[in-house]
Amino acid sequence: MLVLLISLFACTGEVITAPEPAPTEAPAAAPETPDVDVAQLRDEADEAALVPSPVETQKALEASGIDVKLSSLIPKHKFDLDANDMDHAAVRSGVLLADVLLTVKTAETKELVRRLGAVQKGMNQLNGGSDIDAMLEDIKDRLKADAVTRDELLKELDELSGAVIPELEFNGQSRVVPLIEAGSWLEGANLVARAVQSAEKNDAAEKLLKSPAVVDYFIEYVKTDGADKAPEAVTKKLEESLIELKGLAEKTEPLTDADIDRVVEVTNAVLALL
Amino acid sequence: MRAIVTRLAVLALAASAFVATPASADETEASSCLRTKVWDGYGDGWAIRTMTSTELEAGKTRSYLVSLYADNEYRITTCADAGATNLDVLIYDTEGNIVVRDETTDREPAIDFKPSASGTYYVVLYLREAAEGADKAGVAMAVVYR
Repeated sequence: MLVLLISLFACTGEVITAPEPAPTEAPAAAPETPDVDVAQLRDEADEAALVPSPVETQKALEASGIDVKLSSLIPKHKFDLDANDMDHAAVRSGVLLADVLLTVKTAETKELVRRLGAVQKGMNQLNGGSDIDAMLEDIKDRLKADAVTRDELLKELDELSGAVIPELEFNGQSRVVPLIEAGSWLEGANLVARAVQSAEKNDAAEKLLKSPAVVDYFIEYVKTDGADKAPEAVTKKLEESLIELKGLAEKTEPLTDADIDRVVEVTNAVLALL
Repeated sequence: MRAIVTRLAVLALAASAFVATPASADETEASSCLRTKVWDGYGDGWAIRTMTSTELEAGKTRSYLVSLYADNEYRITTCADAGATNLDVLIYDTEGNIVVRDETTDREPAIDFKPSASGTYYVVLYLREAAEGADKAGVAMAVVYR
């Protein structure tokens, strides 16, 4: 710029000054409260944090005065681990992940390693990638070598369930993560309903089983309307079950014994197909 | 864009550091800060439901739908990178009313909430003020409970 000004002065004998920059307005301070409305929230909200974890559900159960460990109600599932249909593998993996989380502090090492191996197999069937496979292998190795405490393991598995798996891309299949979450939630709903049955505390079911927004989120991904092929048996049954659970979740009257029995039945019907 | 807040991400980023600049380095900084807070929280009985991250422009918001159980204690904990000077976090009910909000002027706010009824809420992150020369920031958010 200086060279340019000197050369201009030399040519004309007049000093040409650069124009003053236009005064810039200071950016307006953002308001104290953001300008959001309900419609915007409804349309734009991310669902990444919507679904409660099974351990969180256990906490809520205890806060409701039901002193039943959900882990004690987990049946010996006989899952078909070789079924690699995407929906089947996703829902099954979600159920197994819930079982792992609920039993991480109490299960025998052999049983925990077996469940983690089943989750690992599901992640591979779903094309979760080599990183998640290596992570699960590492966890199993440390468990077998007694090189990790159960408290540390709980943190790692919470993170696996609440941060790692939801971020995996699964080859661009957007329904995989919601279906894994659906599997975990369904297992939790089944166990909670059975805990409520045994404790005969239906008021707790109001707090724990009425989650229409969660069920809606799953239905959005599970629905097969307009699909170009017949849905797999698991998908079809899951969709039917979720629609029935949504009806119960939206009931304005308190849930009855029959309603809670129905939650157990419809969730069992999905779990039986896995 | 959300980023993984995990050992996997750290390993992946470390592996790629020599070949490419991460597309969201600021989110990585925010996520690393958040991860430390969340893991430290286990000592006080907190546990993770979700950890996620995003990029926020100055004056803009990002909202998350959450279902919360009655009588559980919840904490929404956040970290922003150096692109932020004032990040706010608020919880709205489904009618659009603010239930609780942070009143701090910093980039790592947290709010606690113990709902009296189970239900659905919105967590809103608001980049109220960006750092001088920055127009956006990487922001990480976790929902933890006990």
